[in-house]
Amino acid sequence: MRVWILLFILNLILTPARMANGGRNEPMKLEISFPAETGGWKWDGKVRSFHPRNLFDYMDGAAELYLAYRFQSLDVYQLEKSGQPPLTIEIFRMGSSADAYGIFSFERQDKEAGIGQESESGGGMLRFWKGQYFVSIYGEGEGPEIESTIIRLGKEVAQAIPQRGPAPKLIANLPGTQVGLIQKSIRYLRSHVLLNQRYFIANQNILHLNPQTEAVLAQYLRGTHKVHLLLIQYPTEKKAEDALHSFKKAYMPEATEKGFLKTEDRKWTMAERQGEFILAVFGAPALADADELIKGTEAKLQEGGK
Amino acid sequence: MKETRVITRRDFLRGTAGVALTVAFHSGISATAQAKQKAKVVLIRNAEVLTVGGKVHGEILGQMLDEALRALLVEKEPAQAWRKLFKASDIVGIKSNVWYNMPTPKELEGALQRRLMEVGIPEKNIGIGDRRVLSNPIFLNSTALINARPVRTHHWSGIGGCIKNYITFVSNWSDYHGEACSDLGKIWTYPLVQGKTRLNILSALQPQFYGRGAHFFDRRYVWPYKGLIVGTDPVAVDAVGARLLQVKRTAYFGEDRPLDVPPIHITVADKKYHLGVSDLNRIDLIKLGWREEVLI
Repeated sequence: MRVWILLFILNLILTPARMANGGRNEPMKLEISFPAETGGWKWDGKVRSFHPRNLFDYMDGAAELYLAYRFQSLDVYQLEKSGQPPLTIEIFRMGSSADAYGIFSFERQDKEAGIGQESESGGGMLRFWKGQYFVSIYGEGEGPEIESTIIRLGKEVAQAIPQRGPAPKLIANLPGTQVGLIQKSIRYLRSHVLLNQRYFIANQNILHLNPQTEAVLAQYLRGTHKVHLLLIQYPTEKKAEDALHSFKKAYMPEATEKGFLKTEDRKWTMAERQGEFILAVFGAPALADADELIKGTEAKLQEGGK
Repeated sequence: MKETRVITRRDFLRGTAGVALTVAFHSGISATAQAKQKAKVVLIRNAEVLTVGGKVHGEILGQMLDEALRALLVEKEPAQAWRKLFKASDIVGIKSNVWYNMPTPKELEGALQRRLMEVGIPEKNIGIGDRRVLSNPIFLNSTALINARPVRTHHWSGIGGCIKNYITFVSNWSDYHGEACSDLGKIWTYPLVQGKTRLNILSALQPQFYGRGAHFFDRRYVWPYKGLIVGTDPVAVDAVGARLLQVKRTAYFGEDRPLDVPPIHITVADKKYHLGVSDLNRIDLIKLGWREEVLI
């Protein structure tokens, strides 16, 4: 008889309608189940659960990353097998499927593993997202048996998550691989701190990023050069205009009118506003490269990808 | 209120980030005085200090430590160097790091404790601690501190080094997470630690140069560098450690892969809190021992 791990997650459903009506946020139970034994690794019977206030107890230094993607809860499971290193399953429930995608995209680097909606596997770690869940499974050691068990576990957990969810719409506005997009380099962000971790722009929040804004950062290959494209969506055109003004004043004060310049590394930076969006290119080897990416993004926005 | 100077990517491209930080944090030291200040750091490596399985050879590590201290303090014998830093009446807290993926090696803690006892400090007056230093009577009554931890990349501060290692001397850790943990140096100005640190050691036996995941740890990015970075200046020691991680990232990935966060706290510790020297051009790096793939 197979034993199954049941995850009962208290999920506060905060629908806008309920909040608008002043309704009570009643907890709803969601249930995910997956086998308690896989490939000889057995669940140790314990679940460690964390919420936004005690996430720091679980992770040293990285909690802010998850909180920036509207972290809701985390359940951690450990599976053991005699003579083998333990396996850890971390199931994060994020604020939305876009947030689950965001946390996945932020550290993506390895090859796709075909699990959940998007995944990666490497170095004894599997990461994937599905719906509003982001899942990480890893072993304390490496080896073919561990790797294959992690993949099998990942498939079972992914299967147990009932619903898929949309990735952030903003990504659809990025010019594609035909102009050199490096798919794995796409990062979805909501905070300037995280933006700086992937591409440092300024120590202060000169682009006015906040939980109400969305940003995507992506790399494009231009010969041997990697060019960064940043696309940010603000709640209003006014906020986008204010942010662009702030950015130009701090980053390119000598080119606030024309919106492009050659920086000290002899590469090009270009920035402009389109409606409630800011489009910016950094590190282009030629002005034409920057222009092509900006125009490509403009075209996507006009197509209605937004 | 005076507006704080924005430091942008372009400051780093110009190589003026240090100047910008000086302005941003209103340094009270004149440019001339800063130009005169220099620091010395010893990097010592030994190819035999780790076994194939990664275990630390305690005896070799102790020899490395002695040799580093002898060179750092320009003494003929290691014992003289230790006595230069500590006296028998000292109460010494060895601030280590217990992070389970990469703790301060027990062999290093042990070697430090033995050297202090050889100076004449009774065992009861030596404490080793990390998370509970605020309730540890040795640390609360300490006259001297040794700061010893592994060097690694850090998700929020760029590197986990000596300056950051004192975060457990405060209880409100999250208050120091702002702006890439830039204000970590402030902790060093509090009475519990101010002026007490005699020795700073970054264990670069197996540093971590890149991280990911909830615990920001991925064993693919830990390498057997087999070194110690030693100095009396925590800022200079961290600056060298940060440089090592940066160079290793570039070498490994084959492209410029900056630290996840510019380790701004190192520069701020220099420019704002005057804890030491962050400018590599003003750090005299003495390299001893094994030179293969030394990187810096």
